[in-house]
Amino acid sequence: MSYYDIDAILTDAEKVPCKFELDVPELGYLDNNPAQPLKSGTTIGLPLWLAELLALANRVPSTADEDAKSFVSLNLPPALSNEVMSALKADPRAVPLRDQSHNFYGLGTRMLDLFEEKEICAVLRRTFVTRAADIALHAGKAGATDDMGVGAGEEFLRGLEEWERKLFKKAHDGAKGTKEWMEGVKKH
Amino acid sequence: MHGDLGNKLVQQAKRTQNLAHLPPYQTELVRAVTREVRDLDKDVAALLEPFQGSFHPTDDQAVACTLLVNHLSMRRNKRCLLAYHHTRTDKLEKLVWKGYDVVDLAGQQVGDGSVNAGGASNVANGDGSMNNLSPQEEDYVRQYSDLLAAYKGQWTDIDLTGSLEPPRDLFIDVRVLKDAGEIQTEYGQFYVRQGDVERLIAQGYLQKLS
Repeated sequence: MSYYDIDAILTDAEKVPCKFELDVPELGYLDNNPAQPLKSGTTIGLPLWLAELLALANRVPSTADEDAKSFVSLNLPPALSNEVMSALKADPRAVPLRDQSHNFYGLGTRMLDLFEEKEICAVLRRTFVTRAADIALHAGKAGATDDMGVGAGEEFLRGLEEWERKLFKKAHDGAKGTKEWMEGVKKH
Repeated sequence: MHGDLGNKLVQQAKRTQNLAHLPPYQTELVRAVTREVRDLDKDVAALLEPFQGSFHPTDDQAVACTLLVNHLSMRRNKRCLLAYHHTRTDKLEKLVWKGYDVVDLAGQQVGDGSVNAGGASNVANGDGSMNNLSPQEEDYVRQYSDLLAAYKGQWTDIDLTGSLEPPRDLFIDVRVLKDAGEIQTEYGQFYVRQGDVERLIAQGYLQKLS
């Protein structure tokens, strides 16, 4: 992941729910309410680039018996909620991941860096592997017929998120390249 | 909220990656994002002002939190700006390596104003991407071209930007798309050696007839 990686920057813009642990008078605008102070306990969706460091920055306890806390506490975004995980467990192919998040796996890996969630990790891995096989199948078909496989599996392809789209494009170009090369061989 | 404009810029960059040509430079958006950074910086200065340089994060956590949010927003905007420009210069470098005479094409279009109606699509592309550059980008392309020319000059017997496709025939038919003045080749006018005119084809003066 590079500093200039456009997809990484877009993944960084994915929002995660954050609960503020203190009153901040100046930050009302984050909750679309610039005139009011931001109250402790308010939960708002903040982009990862803001949320991650706010959650990691340690502040010193104000009284001796208080634990060291951060400014906000993070929660898992809706895209990684129990409902989505159950749906993925039932059938990874039936869930349009794009509707959950355009950078679904990107968001997943970022969140799993922060949360110890073995089960989500396992579900995501199984989802990726299962779907990758299907993507390769569709891409191979599309590459061999010269169109982008419009019609067949359209619904499934529409639901691909960014990583999967890239995978599809690579597989498609590969199949197409092979086909062209084979035709060239026959001519000579 | 802060960073939304920067996000728009990155979405533009994302679109640029998938396009063959270079879309117009987002002067307004870039200006708006830099203005946001400047405003945030002013906010930070105003927040710190009452402390007279002796601010301790532990004493006033609300202020510390606001400062952190402002700082992160500035940093985010910086990354968006840099990534946007980086994506564009990447594309420009590729165009220069492909041999499009990006700067020349723009000068001509402004100069005579009449683009040949029968121009092939890659000609239109060359012209289109040019007018979309910011003055700084034009300068960048010019200097990068000079660098590339100097680099290529070290080898006289090999053309680094030449086509990697082995030619089927030594000679090809071409159609003249734009008046290029008097050009002398070794063998004749329209049935020419491919190696002689490769650059003219890339620049859009000639079209190769198969």
